[in-house]
This record gives sequence, C-alpha cells and structure tokens, in this order.
Amino acid sequence: MAPPAQSQKSSSPSQPSGKGEVSDVKMQLRQLAGSRAPGTDDSKRELFKKVISYMTIGIDVSAVFSEMVMCSATSDIVLKKMCYLYVGNYAKNNPDLALLTINFLQRDCKDEDPMIRGLALRSLCSLRVANLVEYLVGPLGNGLKDGNSYVRMVASIGVLKLYHISASTCMDADFPAMLKHLMLNDKDAQVVANCLTSLQEIWGLEASTSEEAAREREMLLSKAVIYYFLNRIKEFSEWAQCIVLELVAKYVPSDSNEIFDVMNLLEDRLQHANGAVVLATIKVFLQLTLSMTDVHQQVYERIKSPLLTLVSSGSPEQSYAVLSHLHLLVMRAPFIFSSDYKHFYCQYNEPFYVKKLKLEMLTAVANESNTYDIVTELCEYAANVDIPMARESIRAVGKIALQQYDVNAIVDRLLQFLEMEKEHVTAETLVLVKDLLRKYPQWSHDCIAVVGNISSKNVQEPKAKAALIWMLGEYAQDMQDAPYILESLIENWDEEHSAEVRLHLLTAIMKCFLRRPPETQKALGAALAAGLADFHQDVHDRALFYYRLLKYDVSVAERVVNPPKQAVSVFADTQSSEVKDRIFDEFNSLSVVYQKPSYMFTDKEHRGPFAFSEELGNLSIDTDLANDVVPAQRVEENDKDLLLSTSEKEENHGSINNSSAYDAPSYDGSRMVGALQPQQDLVSLDQPPPANTPASLAMDDLFGLGLPVAPSPTPPPLALKLNAKAVLDPNSFQQKWRQLPVAASQEISLNPQGVSALSSPQVLLRHMQGHSIQCIASGGQAPNFKFFFFAQKEDEPSTYLVECVINSAACKAQLKIKADDQSTTQAFSTLFQSVLSEFGLP
Amino acid sequence: MLQCIFLLSDSGEVMLEKQLTGHRVDRSICAWFWDQIISQGDSLKLVPVIASPTHYLFQVVREGITFLACTQVEMPPLMAIEFLSRVADVLSDYLGSLNEDLIKDNFVIVYELLDEMIDNGFPLTTEPNILREMIAPPNIVSKVLSVVTGNVSNVSNTLPGATASCVPWRKTDLKHTSNEVYVDLVEEMDAIINRDGTLVKCEIYGEVQVNSHLSGLPDLTLSFANPSILNDARFHPCVRLRPWEANQILSFVPPDGEFKLMSYRVKKLKSTPIYVKPQLSSDSGTCRISVLVGIRNDPGKSIDSITVQFQLPPCILSADLSANHGTVNILADKTCSWSIGRIPKDKAPSMAGTMTLETGLERLNVFPTFQVSFRIMGVALSGLQIDKLDLKNLPSRPYKGFRALTRAGEFEVRS
Repeated sequence: MAPPAQSQKSSSPSQPSGKGEVSDVKMQLRQLAGSRAPGTDDSKRELFKKVISYMTIGIDVSAVFSEMVMCSATSDIVLKKMCYLYVGNYAKNNPDLALLTINFLQRDCKDEDPMIRGLALRSLCSLRVANLVEYLVGPLGNGLKDGNSYVRMVASIGVLKLYHISASTCMDADFPAMLKHLMLNDKDAQVVANCLTSLQEIWGLEASTSEEAAREREMLLSKAVIYYFLNRIKEFSEWAQCIVLELVAKYVPSDSNEIFDVMNLLEDRLQHANGAVVLATIKVFLQLTLSMTDVHQQVYERIKSPLLTLVSSGSPEQSYAVLSHLHLLVMRAPFIFSSDYKHFYCQYNEPFYVKKLKLEMLTAVANESNTYDIVTELCEYAANVDIPMARESIRAVGKIALQQYDVNAIVDRLLQFLEMEKEHVTAETLVLVKDLLRKYPQWSHDCIAVVGNISSKNVQEPKAKAALIWMLGEYAQDMQDAPYILESLIENWDEEHSAEVRLHLLTAIMKCFLRRPPETQKALGAALAAGLADFHQDVHDRALFYYRLLKYDVSVAERVVNPPKQAVSVFADTQSSEVKDRIFDEFNSLSVVYQKPSYMFTDKEHRGPFAFSEELGNLSIDTDLANDVVPAQRVEENDKDLLLSTSEKEENHGSINNSSAYDAPSYDGSRMVGALQPQQDLVSLDQPPPANTPASLAMDDLFGLGLPVAPSPTPPPLALKLNAKAVLDPNSFQQKWRQLPVAASQEISLNPQGVSALSSPQVLLRHMQGHSIQCIASGGQAPNFKFFFFAQKEDEPSTYLVECVINSAACKAQLKIKADDQSTTQAFSTLFQSVLSEFGLP
Repeated sequence: MLQCIFLLSDSGEVMLEKQLTGHRVDRSICAWFWDQIISQGDSLKLVPVIASPTHYLFQVVREGITFLACTQVEMPPLMAIEFLSRVADVLSDYLGSLNEDLIKDNFVIVYELLDEMIDNGFPLTTEPNILREMIAPPNIVSKVLSVVTGNVSNVSNTLPGATASCVPWRKTDLKHTSNEVYVDLVEEMDAIINRDGTLVKCEIYGEVQVNSHLSGLPDLTLSFANPSILNDARFHPCVRLRPWEANQILSFVPPDGEFKLMSYRVKKLKSTPIYVKPQLSSDSGTCRISVLVGIRNDPGKSIDSITVQFQLPPCILSADLSANHGTVNILADKTCSWSIGRIPKDKAPSMAGTMTLETGLERLNVFPTFQVSFRIMGVALSGLQIDKLDLKNLPSRPYKGFRALTRAGEFEVRS
C-alpha cells in the first residue's frame, strides 16, 4: 500500500514558518562555531536543542545546516547526538550539504570512545545519500571488525542500510559474507541477531536474481544454523529471540525426534514475560506439529494457559492482539477453550474492540456443555448501557443459536429481549428471530406469538423492519393481523425510505395474498401500484414481475413466490476454509488481526523477504490487479479482492465438476432452487437427495452456476493414470507439503454407506491403496478423522499430496490438494473424489 | 519492521517523530490518524492496529500520549504493540511519569533512548538497566553537565562486559553500602458478581515485585509454601526456568533496583472479601436504589479505601442519593462515586435514594454496573505464601523485607 513518494515538505502550512527565529539561531550558531571559551558547550546545547525542537514541530531548519556542521566539533556526547539527529534528518534532501558532514562523521568513526564510534557510524549509514556511499564502505568494514560489540552491532545493521541505498556497493564490498562470518562466530548475541536480520533481508531480496543468494538463504534454514541459534537462544534479547523464533518457524525438521528436541529447547519460552516471544514460540510449535495430528492437539493444550494469561494480564492493546490469535486458534480447534469460556467474559471497563473480540470468542467456544452459561452472560450485556455492545451481544446470542442443536432456552431468551422494549434491542432481535425461523421452522408458533405483539411503529431500522415484514408474509396464515399490518405499512409507502424494506413489503404482500386472498386483495393492488410508480429500479421491476406473474397464472405465481421451503441447515460461511488456512500459516502476523491472508492486503514489494511468495502462484492475479489501483482506494479494493478471489474459486469449482454435473438428473429443478436462494443470501445443502452420489457432489457446486461461468468450455478431464507403487518418505512429504501451494481445496459430501464403513482409519487406507492412492499418516477418532494421502503419476515423478479431514457425523470431507504439476490438479481432484465416493459401496 | 514512530499529545499534536528506515513516512499520516480518532470520539476506542491508505498503524495510548508506529510490511502485531508499551514504560521510568510537558522538555533524551532501543526498525534492547548505562537519566544531565561527558564514556567502556555476560540485566560491579532486598506480593482481584449475588467469575492476577539493592553478583532463591495453587506463571528473563519446573523454586540473579520478578494467575476463587448488594426498583417514573456493603469473608486484616462507583444510566434526569457512612458524589459525567473508606464496626454502610427517570419512561430499562475498589494490606488473597528467600554470594548479611497487598482489580457487581 505504498503511496507514490510524496513531495517532501518539511513544514506543514498550518504551522508557523519560524523564519525569523531560524535566522536568529543561525547568527548565534555562527558566533559559537569558532569559540573555545568555557561554557561554549552549554550555549551550544541550548541552541541545538532549539533547532531540534523546531525540527520536531515541523519548522524547516535546513537553512542552518552548514552552521550546525561547523559547531559539530565537540567532545560533548549529547551535543554530538543532537547533531547526528539533525544531520540524519536533512541530509537526504540536501545531498550537497551532506558532503560537509562526511568529514566529521568519518573522524568520529575513529574516536577512541566506542559509544561515539557506534553513534557516528549509525549516523553515517542513516544519511542515505546515494552519491556518498563510497565514504561509507571503509568505516563499515572497520566497524564490522571493531573490538567493541556496540560498534559491531551498529555496523551489522549499517550493512543493511547500505544495501538499501546501493545494493551493488554492498555486494561488491562482500559485506554479506562478512556478516555471515560474524553471525556464526561473534560472541555478542545482539551482533549475531543484527547480522541475522540484515542477511535475511539482503539474501531474500537478492535471491530472485542470484542463485548464490538463494543458496545462502536456504543455508539460514539448514539444521546446523538453526541449532546454533536455538542453543544460544537464552543469550539473545527478547526482541532478538522473536526474530530467531520467526526463523525457526520456517525450519523443516527431518524427523519427529528433531521436532521434539526443538520443542523441548523452546518450551520455557512460553513463560517469557514478553508476549511477543510467547506468541512467536507458539507459532513454532504449531508449525512444527502441523502434520502430527496427536501432538498438535497436545500443543493446543500446552499453549492454552500462557495465551489466556496474556489476554488477562496485558494492556488492552496487547489483549487485542492476543485475542485475534486466539480467535484463529479457536476456529481450528473449538474445543481448546471450551472449558475456559469465563476468560472471555467482558469487563465493564474494557475498550469496545476487546469486548467485540471476546464476544466472537464466546460465540466460537460455545458448545452443548457451556451454552447455557454463555448465553446467560450475553444476556447481561444485552441490557448494557453501551448500545453497540448490546447489539453485538444479541447478534452473538443469535449466532450461537444458529450453530447449536438445542436452542430451546435460547429462543426463550431472545423472545425476552423483545419484551425489553428498547428500540435497538428489538431491532437486532427481530433480525435474529427471522434467521432462526429459517433454520428452525418448528419454533414458529412461539415466536409468532411474541412477534405479533410488536407494533411496527416501534421498529424503524430498515433491517429490522424488513425482518418483521418477512415474518408477516411468511406466517400470514398464523398471524391474525398480518394483512392489516401490511396494509397500514403500504399506506405509508411514500414515507418508507429503504428500498430493501419496500422490496420485502412487495414479496410479503404477495405471500399474504396467496394465502388469504380476500383480506389482502386491496392492499396488494395498492402495493403493486405504488411499486410500479417507484423510482427505485429493483422495486419497480419486482412489482412489474409480480403483476405479470399474477396476470399470467395465479398458480404459477404461487409456485414462484411461495414454494414449500426447506429449512436452512447451514448458513454460508463468509470465509472459505482455504483463506482461513492461509491465515493460519501466517500466524503471528498482521494477517491474523485483519483476518485476511497477507496477499490480500500487502503490496508485493512490501511483503517480507520470506513472505510466502511461492504459495502465491495460483492467486497472484488478485494482487496484480490490485497493484494498478490508486493507493487511496486500496482499503476498499482489498475487500473486493476477497470477493474476486472467492468468486474465482467458485468458478473453478463449477468447472471442475461440470463434466460430472451434466448427467445429473435433477439438474434443472435444483438450479431453480439455487437461483431463488441467493436473494436471501443463504445456501442450502439440504436439497432433495439426488439419485446417485456423483450428482450429490455436483449439488454442492450448483451455487457456482449462479455466478458467471468461464466462457470457454471446460476441457474434458485428462485421463489420469497413477503409479500403483508410488513411494514417498515422510520427510519429503512434509517438505513438499510446506513448499507447495494449495492447488485445490473443497468440501465434499460422503455417501452414508461409506461413512458407516469407516469404523477405523485403516479401512479407508486399504480402499484408497487399491486405487493407487497411498496414505502417509492418519489419525483421529470418530467422528473426526484426518488423513494425509499421496499419489504419483504413472509415467513421470509428479506427486499429488492430499489432506483429507473426514467428519463422519456430518458425512463431510474436507480436501486440500497440493500438486507438483498444477495443471493436472483438477483431473486428480476428480479422480480422488470419485475413488472416495466409491468407498463403502459393494 | 517498524518504519517510523510518532508521539502525539492528547490534542493530536506531533511531539516527536523518529524515522527509522530509508523510507520516510510523511507526517500527514498523523493527521489522517487523528481524523480517525475524532470520528470515533475517543482515542481509547480506536483499534490498536489499523490500516491507513498507505501504512499499517499500531497505536498504544498511555496517560493521554499516543505512541504511534507505522509500517508497510508484514510483521508480528504483538511485537509492535509490546515494543510501544515498553517504550512507554521506559520513558515514564526515565522521566518520572508521562505527560505532554515532560516529553517536550526532555525530547533530546527521548530521541537518545529511541536511538538505542530500535535501529532500522528492529527493536534492540528495552532493558532499563542497560539503557541507564548508555544514557543518563535527565536529572543527572542537568545537574552535572560536564561530568556527564566523562562519565558516559567511562560507562560505555564497561558496556561490552555487561552485555556479553550471562546477566545482561545487571552491571558487573555494583556496590551498595547497605545490602537490602524487598519482596512484595501484589495481587489484584478480578470478579464479576451477578444481580442475584452469584459469583460469575473470580480470579487473582498477582505479581512478585522485588526491589533489590545488593552488591556484587548475588544469587537468590525464593520458594513458596504452596506453589501448586498458581495457574500460570510468567517470569523476568533473570529467572532460571529449570529449578522452577523441577521444584517450583525461583532461582535468579536480580537486576538492580525495582523489577517484576514474576506474574501469575490464580483462577476460580470461591469467595470475595466484601459484598455489595445493589437493589433497584422503579415505578411510574421514579427509581429507588439502595446499596449495601459489608464484609463477607474476613481476610484478617482491615479492608481500606473501599469505594463503589457506577454510571447513572442516560435515561436518569436527576438523582438524590445519601449514605449512612462515607460520602456520595455525583460528577458531571453522571458518574456516582460513594467512598466508604473502612467499614465501621457498629453498622453496615448503606446508600439509598431516589432517581427521576426522563419523561415518558415508566420503568428503568438499563441497569448500571457497580465497580468496587478496595485494598487490603498484609494479605495475599490468593493464599500464596512465601516460604523463604536465600541469598548467596554476598559480602555481608543483607536485610530482607516481605510485604503483601491485595486490591480490587476489575471488581464489578451487576444490578
């Protein structure tokens, strides 16, 4: 998100120019420059202070540059520091003047006081003037060899600064090699850490053009180097530990013993007082055990209590950052915090941003055993003085209700909210009751009784009004007054500003008319007339559509407007599981806070040198598009990126399965259903069961058809032959799994016979093996199983890796496929799914 | 990697700007940031990590001063936030406290500190003891100007010795005339009590604070009588973790001066030392309120500085409240504060009164939360007890002092 370099203006127009003062200071400095009188340093100090303070408030004091340099001959360290600060600030824009400073900085670099040598070197490197780099090489080289660690520490970062001013100078002087030597041999841990940061960045940037740099970058992740760092980890400062841990998280151990070694070495880091260290350690643990299902679970247990302490002991800002990570973890493993839900109870004084995350946590950890307590607590917040908080809590109650099986108590609570007679509470609750009824139609009698008592006059917010109107239409049969309430709403058509509400009103009155024609006919006429005259295009079109439909045939209208509805079983998740996985890979980064993977919000050029660039191959279109956009619009654009990438994914889904979908018998009928539903933004998976299993696979992808399908016809899947005797050792599997991007990721339904045959993982393994798909690891207990499969092409050494998570209770499997050869992923995915669907069939 | 740090006053004025990398962050970002704050109404309401059109911003607010850091690259958010909090801690340690004037008066020191704490966007050291050796705190600078120059260069020569040793948090050759060490247990009780008196949540967050003035390189071991009650503990880097894991013994070489040796949590406590029972009933436009306070579980020591505070709901027009003990104040922002002090022996403190609701409202529909504070000297309510403190490597017998204190943290009672 870099703006084009802004024109540098040192003083903003709102602040005083301070011209008079500056020339005043200039005079005084000039007088002091040559003076050796006692007390000169004191007066210089005062003047320097004045200059720096002008600089700080934004007055341009570059005019006194030469005078400042003249006065810089001093042994007073504080004066020197101020002078360095001043020079560093203005040198970049006054390269000619900067030349003046070189002399005294170079002299200071040879001072006998190491502090001054270090400070001078730091300032010299911070001048950042391209045509002065020649003066930098000598002092830097000396600095790296300095006997004092403070100077070496400054020099090792100085190399990185030099690299950014002039990469070629830095490489020509062979500084990276010197840094490498220091990194592996220096006895001062801070020097070692600085070398590491510099080298990571330099080699990371060089790697694209130089093979040697790429090799060196790999070297940083070699076993010897990683162990060297791990063994010294306690010597590093807490911040350097973070950098080392970040590096270790990218290391791929060769076997499980090594994994345990690393974890043992690092376990005490979990008790470090610095939260950043704790979080970086947790990332290492999670990454290391990714493919070891059982250990991964133990890791969750182990990290739980340090994380909870971080949440409750730090400042609100720290809690916020930690809670964002907890949210990510709880999405992957809801059980980990399910008994610690009380930690997420909100305190009265906490800032809203912390409370909001806590509410999300409470929603995520709710399960059968704790729902009652959690909902009770949430109801407390609903009565809260803080209105946004009250709204969020009601939404949270609703979310819990939608994800639970036993909603008995929750519905009662929601209905109590309606009796609180507070406008915002009523509004939020109405929206929720509507969603609940769509999922649990069996509650309609209880809800309708209460909703019927609400006067529509007390509901003003469009969303709530729309929800109320929807209920009036949908349950017109059961609500005595429905036609009359709707009628009164139609009478005030002109005062209704929200198009959404007017659209709902049209549909509701239609539904009502189809059920209770005599009472509604008049209102319907009025609504259609008002709708036809409406200036809003959608409202007008819908009114016209209904009008013509009724004219054509009322029974057809009945079928269109009021078809029997299936209850919604699952509301569409806003975030795909692939995106969630990507964020998980980027644990302990900004992605977690934004709940988006970094490719969706960072510029390519700004992604760290170790960013997951290789994983971006299949998604880079998004960023390319985004790169052309003006920076100011970026924030919104990122949201569009998200949409774009998911819709693209849907397209892919569609085309993957199109070939098998064409022969599905129920194709047309279900398409109709699919087309009606997006309007209510829900995705129903409970459609009429199709005749055979391949079709049920296709069903999942029908929503994809609602979106524009790629114009070119899908090529028929290549006949893919797999090598029956494929071999891959666990280590190379792990390595590949880390390196390859996710080529395809989807959720598929399993046939019930298959699920019932899945008594233990082994049964499935044998079945898959029969089809040349080998298993490398498996684990889990009913209902959750996790498998890692691999397969190889018959004629070439191209490998496919699959992570398959099966939930036998839900008859669902989640697949993640990675492949050496991306172009054949689709073919493999189809093959894999068909093999999986044959499982359990005689 | 952070690219720039700004310090803003509570009116949004840029007090300090520290560019860290070659990429120069324009000051206009602060104006953008301040607009966001104004649109939120309060700097405390703004999320700590936000995306501006050009940079990611991290912000930490301490005593009205906003510490703002900018970056364009992916980095661990907690690292940035921890670092900014640490900068705030170090500054308030150096300057005595934090406020706009102190920073403006001592901006040179602040620049110097930032220079040593972070280079090219990577944090270096935030350990106060190390920084103190490199940069003299302000009062000394102003007092003995000329001496400082000499001193600083002397001190910096010892710097490599200290950082290369295994105890970077301690100078090598410390000398104190009187050797003494104080260990304080400071606990905060966080509790939520529902309107029916049930304890929804009650836990203790505790810290072991040590103030050490010991010569040489002393080696200390501190043990607890009942370490098993601790739920999770975090330690200062000086604590050796092996002895803790093996025997729950804290073995360490202390830094000089005050530091936080350890922090811990004790969950699921069963009872609170005092009770607060609010009762509200409303009818036809007026609301009667009564609050009773008393001792529920006598901790054995006196409970001091008890106050009960709550926010009057916005729908209340006026309130007439009085107490049989202590004073009741209603502030302009509708905060009602009842300071009780100690609970008298002869009567139970109670506050009662009536409140008028705004016209058209029959009954009260929002209920205030009562925030309670108190402090108890001499008791750690979690029950944690120090068993003994052993000191080795000391030239003379030191003085050892122990104290305990519990106060209310987030202690709230709902009505």
